Amino acid sequence: MHSTVVRVQNVFGFFTTVAFCVAAVIALSVIVNPQSPSASVQLRNVQVVRGRPHYYSYKKEEYAHIKFNLDTDLSTLFNWNTKQVFLYLKAIYPSSKPNTPPSEAIIWDAILPASSAPNHQNYYIHPNPKKSQTKKPSKNKNAKSKAKRDESPYPRGELHLQNQRPKYQITDITGRLQNRTDVVLELGWNVQPWVGALVWANKVDFGVWEGLKGGVSERFKFPEIKTKKEGDLGTEKGGEKNRGKPA
Amino acid sequence: MADQLLDKVRDAVEGQIDFEGQRLAELITTVLLGASGIIAFLVGFMAQDIYLTLYISLGGTALTFLAVVPPWPVYKKNPIPWLSPHTAVSGFNINVDGKKVG
Repeated sequence: MHSTVVRVQNVFGFFTTVAFCVAAVIALSVIVNPQSPSASVQLRNVQVVRGRPHYYSYKKEEYAHIKFNLDTDLSTLFNWNTKQVFLYLKAIYPSSKPNTPPSEAIIWDAILPASSAPNHQNYYIHPNPKKSQTKKPSKNKNAKSKAKRDESPYPRGELHLQNQRPKYQITDITGRLQNRTDVVLELGWNVQPWVGALVWANKVDFGVWEGLKGGVSERFKFPEIKTKKEGDLGTEKGGEKNRGKPA
Repeated sequence: MADQLLDKVRDAVEGQIDFEGQRLAELITTVLLGASGIIAFLVGFMAQDIYLTLYISLGGTALTFLAVVPPWPVYKKNPIPWLSPHTAVSGFNINVDGKKVG
């Protein structure tokens, strides 16, 4: 500590130690925060249609288009160390070959921000049933993003989606999906903290963390291909930018 | 004149402190940084606001740098009375292994 340079090195070196220890304690502190997530998923409608993976493809594949109802209460997942929660809905169906694990495909997802997270264009905007869809474009960019953030009619982590269209149509590696049985929809998530470990959805209790209650739909079947398309088969497009694209 | 000026600049940049000052600086570093880390966590946890933790610990670190790095007069209270080179040349008999040095 005899000269300026040595003192700078000493102080900075001890600062890194303190910063690491504080981060470790923060990461561990979340286990005293009780969690009791619950969710219910219901199938609304499922159709299988034939289509091409992209415009120039000669191959035809079968795509499942699944509409669903989703009600969640994940507000307890948001503690002081939560940055955002990545929420997703999987369709799980047995593989066509025996002795192979079931296939899982995500049909819908959302990024739910914590209140401490700075605003981002990819954060989920809950559809508001009360307001009309037409919005006047605001000139003030900050005011607009602020307004968008507060648009959800429900508290943080609570979703109530009725007859929700999927974000992604799904297909199988074999290209055939019709008449598959024992399909379920299952909710999953990934809690992304400011510092610490990523936590996935689980069903078992761990200390004061209760497992997810519900979150799995009843078993259903992928129907036969409809030759004539019925109803709305569009995927979800909404307020977030880059929806359905990699962020 | 130029030499004297350069010496002053070098002293200011090196910022040397005495031995007691070094002990004090070490103690202040440990106490201030440790306390700011503990306070930052506790306050942030109470307020459930992780930004508060970040800002308090960064502020505490800045304070520590300010308190310890410059050679404040507090760290120079016990200077070592070194023998000056002038006196060494002029008169002392210093024996090293029977030989007369200086």
